[in-house]
Amino acid sequence: MKNNSIFRVHPTINFARFGTSEDYILAPETSAGLPQDGTDTTGGLPIRKGSETKPVTSKDLRDEEGNLKKQAARYRIYAYDQANTHSYPEGAGTEVVVGTKLPDGRKVVDLIWSSHLANKKAAAYNVVNNKGILAYKDAVPQLRNPETHGDIDSAYRLNRLMIDAGPRAISASSNEGAKFDRCTRASCVRKGGKIKKLPEYPIRFPSDTNSRLFEPNGPLDSLGEMLTDEKGRLLVLASSGNAVGQYDEYGVPIQMTGDLNNVGWFDSAADGPISVTLKFDDGSTEDAFGAWVVCGDPAYAPQIRNVVSVWDDVYDMFVRELGLQPELYGSKKGQKKTAYKASYRPTFAADIQPVFIACDLQRWTANLPPLALRAHTAVRAIDEDDDPDRTIMAALNFLRNPNKDETNIGTPLMPLSLGAAGTSFLTVTKTQYFLLEQWSKGKFKKGRGSKLGPGEAMDVAALANCLGGRYVPGIEVSYTIKDQEIYIQDWQKSGAGPFRVKHYPLTYRKLNSETPYLTSGWIPLHDMADGLQPGDISKFMATPWQTDYNSCSIHATAINTDGVNESNGAETTLYWSWPSQRPDAVYVAEEVVNNVLPKQKWSIRGPGTFAVNPAQAATFQDPLQSVNDWDKIGIIVQGSNVEIGDREFSPDLYLEVQGLLTATGEATDPVASWPFNANPSKKPPKCPPH
Amino acid sequence: MKLTHDEWTLDHLKVHLQYAVDLEFWTIPFYMSAMYSIKDRSDPAFQLIRTVVNQEMLHMQCAANMANAFGLSPTVEAPTYEGTTIPHLDFGLDDPKVIAPYLPYTAEIGPLDLEHINAMCLIEIPDYDTGEKQVELYAGTEEYGSIGAFYEALRLGASLLKENIRGGVQQVDAFAPFYNNMPQMVVSESRSDGLNQVILLIELITEQGEGQSKTDTSIPSVFQNTADDMSPDDDHFEKFNMIKDSAKGKGKLPATYIGKPRGKYTAEDKKVEAILIEQFTELRGALKGLFGGKNPENFFPVMASVGGSIRNCWKHGVTPKFS
Repeated sequence: MKNNSIFRVHPTINFARFGTSEDYILAPETSAGLPQDGTDTTGGLPIRKGSETKPVTSKDLRDEEGNLKKQAARYRIYAYDQANTHSYPEGAGTEVVVGTKLPDGRKVVDLIWSSHLANKKAAAYNVVNNKGILAYKDAVPQLRNPETHGDIDSAYRLNRLMIDAGPRAISASSNEGAKFDRCTRASCVRKGGKIKKLPEYPIRFPSDTNSRLFEPNGPLDSLGEMLTDEKGRLLVLASSGNAVGQYDEYGVPIQMTGDLNNVGWFDSAADGPISVTLKFDDGSTEDAFGAWVVCGDPAYAPQIRNVVSVWDDVYDMFVRELGLQPELYGSKKGQKKTAYKASYRPTFAADIQPVFIACDLQRWTANLPPLALRAHTAVRAIDEDDDPDRTIMAALNFLRNPNKDETNIGTPLMPLSLGAAGTSFLTVTKTQYFLLEQWSKGKFKKGRGSKLGPGEAMDVAALANCLGGRYVPGIEVSYTIKDQEIYIQDWQKSGAGPFRVKHYPLTYRKLNSETPYLTSGWIPLHDMADGLQPGDISKFMATPWQTDYNSCSIHATAINTDGVNESNGAETTLYWSWPSQRPDAVYVAEEVVNNVLPKQKWSIRGPGTFAVNPAQAATFQDPLQSVNDWDKIGIIVQGSNVEIGDREFSPDLYLEVQGLLTATGEATDPVASWPFNANPSKKPPKCPPH
Repeated sequence: MKLTHDEWTLDHLKVHLQYAVDLEFWTIPFYMSAMYSIKDRSDPAFQLIRTVVNQEMLHMQCAANMANAFGLSPTVEAPTYEGTTIPHLDFGLDDPKVIAPYLPYTAEIGPLDLEHINAMCLIEIPDYDTGEKQVELYAGTEEYGSIGAFYEALRLGASLLKENIRGGVQQVDAFAPFYNNMPQMVVSESRSDGLNQVILLIELITEQGEGQSKTDTSIPSVFQNTADDMSPDDDHFEKFNMIKDSAKGKGKLPATYIGKPRGKYTAEDKKVEAILIEQFTELRGALKGLFGGKNPENFFPVMASVGGSIRNCWKHGVTPKFS
């Protein structure tokens, strides 16, 4: 039989998350907050180790010593019929594992997985929080660590500031694993699926060029690990999430002075390509279209759906710029101008309801006032049989319109969280808004709608579980995730399918252990379309990651707009930064009795968190504590999956479990009801009269 | 009929308190209709009216809290919007020079046009007479010369009957976080302490909006919105004049949706009109329940839905109708 299959790795982009434990659970393969067939448990929960789909309970999140388990990114290979790769969604795909027999009679005997993790944060440019991607327009931002001599690509700087664990390749049939650490030899895949050791590969870690480092959570000597499961699927584990700092000339650890670009600090976040070569029993091999892994922040509220997720942003970009669904967006015959198609009918369950669910779920991580909660409940209650004109969302009256200049209008428009760089408030994407408009006009379909293939569903789920919209700079990824330049743009013709990051071709030849192999890599708005190197996604994130996670709790809007309040409210009014992904106010499961909710508590609380100014509430007041104690923050889990003795919790509740920052009964800063305000800035002292 | 202090009874006071609820409620659909007629929600006019609408809701809450403190659970009747009849405004009693800039006006529901912004200014026009006055009590609420005189009478009347105040009865407190400088927005105490709270609520109403006797239009900081008001120190009259003055400068008011003749309503138009009436009726019931201690879960969703329906009506070219 003629071989007409192509192979793709899914999810196209997946996320491994830090943990201080050596043990791990698996990244979710369902979308946060969405109903799942046959269970009360909504999507987004990680999966138990060794399980296909079984979601974790609260007892699975920490090991016996109380260490936070890592979350492994699991990758699978799907075979597709080459003839059907020109539309999205394809709705097809058959998983290929070791032992799978293809329709052409070949049997898979091995899968040779490879990856390459790097962290270029310290060698890259500063994050400019009020500019976003525009910081790269006709320019580049200031370099991080500018005191380290050289330009962005100088070997001197890269040797000292870039963490490059190098590539690793493993054989699934051999049940191999490989650590992306300082002492494991690099390896890559050569022709015929052969694994080649690379003893000359210039692996770089901070300890190579710093005789002494401040290591509050141990040495930074690994960016992660990869291994395979019993079926040959790839698992990528992140590092422990630790961070190290340099000492200054007085022998004192360099103090962290900000949230985004701390000089002299390195963390163990990373990202890089995922590739696989399939080996068949007839001796032939084939390469699959690869994927990407991002290793970063833990998921502290995995089921709390973002109103705008990374999926919403990436989908929006593919729809409007890369011809994902011409029936939804495109040009009319003979015309150049592109627009949404008025004839397109979204599906309520797939396109509309997720926004409504996300709206309602915010209550579990933000201190919303009671009236808003009731309104959100009404939004969540809308179903496909309701006449939109009779609902609380009639005329989309409370939704900020991304096509108009409404980002400075706060109440009563939604989402009421902070917006993208340069804007006060968040908007849904243009595609989300169009789909909602169609629903509002009664132009929508009931039922399940177009069915995603299993691989496609994993692509959506992985991205839908991440923070979108407000990339300042973000939690898992930054604004660059919306840049079409980073993707395989001819996704139809190439057969790669959509949402696949383009790998920069790395041959691993002519290696020299003294010379960095990777360069500074891709940056936006500079016509660089040759693909991403390892580290080219995470380098746009904060360094170290903990300081940004810590500080991005609640802010006045001026933080986005050059320090000037442009909103329609008071300059001191506080809003949530990333309410779904970075919990602010939570309900502690231990304190829930008979499903009666207690008062909310700040997610980050207890000693070291007491704030004089409400703008600094819910944070570690000393950034170093965020580096030390991030793993003690609790996780928000649905009541159905909370296991505390023999108590039963309603699946309607999403509660904090496994928090180690405070014990029951300990005093914490009280959570104010919104709206609440920062302390007013002090007026400058007056000069004496002349 | 003018009443002496001895003739003033709890029944008189309750009639006045119900009237205060009615007065405040009348403005809400009127202002909301004007606001939602503005196409551009970022237009300052939209935002200014929004802040006033929110405060009218607050005033209604204050009036209802006072009523409940005196043992009256207020009703919420459908307001009437006809001709030029605005509750309690009799411009025959006013100085023509003060009124002239705000003519013509209309009391009928409509978009933000000259007649409606004039009406909004007239409703909120302050009582400029700040001289010493004898506060009079009348049996009928329509007998007062101004809203200012009405609220002065309410203050006096409440004082005379302070022994009847019972704190903590069916009090609603939806706005406190929006007013950080305000000690309280409910009547939680009884008798003399409760009276202090009642008077504070009356002052909040009159300083923010209707019926104040003062020469400037700024709101004392205690009554200023601290959360979501773009112009927190300006009272309603000042805010509406800002809209009117801005229109003079630009030569026009913001672009609005326009209601088409009823004869041209489609079936869809009639449907959205009927939905608004239905939801507004439901809202009145929810409000009555809210101020009657029933804690209706649907109050805020219905309130929000009414807003959506008003907007929806305008988008269809349908002038909002509430009963």
